[in-house]
Amino acid sequence: MAMELSKADDGSGKHTITIVGEIDLYTSPKLRSAITESVPAASRALHVSLASVEYMDSSGVATLVEGLRAAMERNLEFVLLSPSPSVLKVLQLSRLDTVFTIREHA
Amino acid sequence: MKNADINIDLVSDPRLLGSVRGLVRTYLLNEGFDSDRASEIVLAVDEACTNAMRHSYGGSTDNRLRLTVRKYARGIEFVLRDRGVPVPVEKCERKEIAVPDAAHLTPGGLGVQLIHRVFDEVKFQPGKTAGNRVVMRLISPEKSS
Repeated sequence: MAMELSKADDGSGKHTITIVGEIDLYTSPKLRSAITESVPAASRALHVSLASVEYMDSSGVATLVEGLRAAMERNLEFVLLSPSPSVLKVLQLSRLDTVFTIREHA
Repeated sequence: MKNADINIDLVSDPRLLGSVRGLVRTYLLNEGFDSDRASEIVLAVDEACTNAMRHSYGGSTDNRLRLTVRKYARGIEFVLRDRGVPVPVEKCERKEIAVPDAAHLTPGGLGVQLIHRVFDEVKFQPGKTAGNRVVMRLISPEKSS
């Protein structure tokens, strides 16, 4: 399954990117582009919803790390929303599960 | 390879990674691995393929990879071969993944460490002038994580 991505702006400075499908070497550039566009557009927070991500590899992790760093440079809150079990597993294997802010709800 | 359970030759196109994952996952589930353990192994095999596509072939999508899976006396062996640029062994050594603080995060280098963490034995064997061979072994494998 490929990846589908949607973006939302709540009008108060929080942007949310929602991912459905698989994040790997083929699909992660699309996520990177979405994050790159959203970081300057958001004034308060960037949330990435990962509840419907069936698979993520290290290219996805690297993309999220880039997003976190870009958000930190602009003092934006960067949150991983409701990561699926497979996302949590790769974050734990990478020992990055404690580095990201993870929430079950926005 | 004789006696291989899987022997596939594929083009170095990232669009095929999902198909490789599906095939390896089905194989592992048929071999009695539970879903969680199969997912870890699939991730590591995917990382090896990804590394070959990115680093050995530099993102070029018209080269070839060969993945072989076979059972042997001590367990199950996965071998990935490419004909790209040899990757220095020093870049593939096992390291403890330190828990970083957010200010010092770097996005690269995770794939190799995930391969080491999932498999019991990993050998990166670059060719002298071209190609790489990655041998990943599960020894007397636990079939649940």
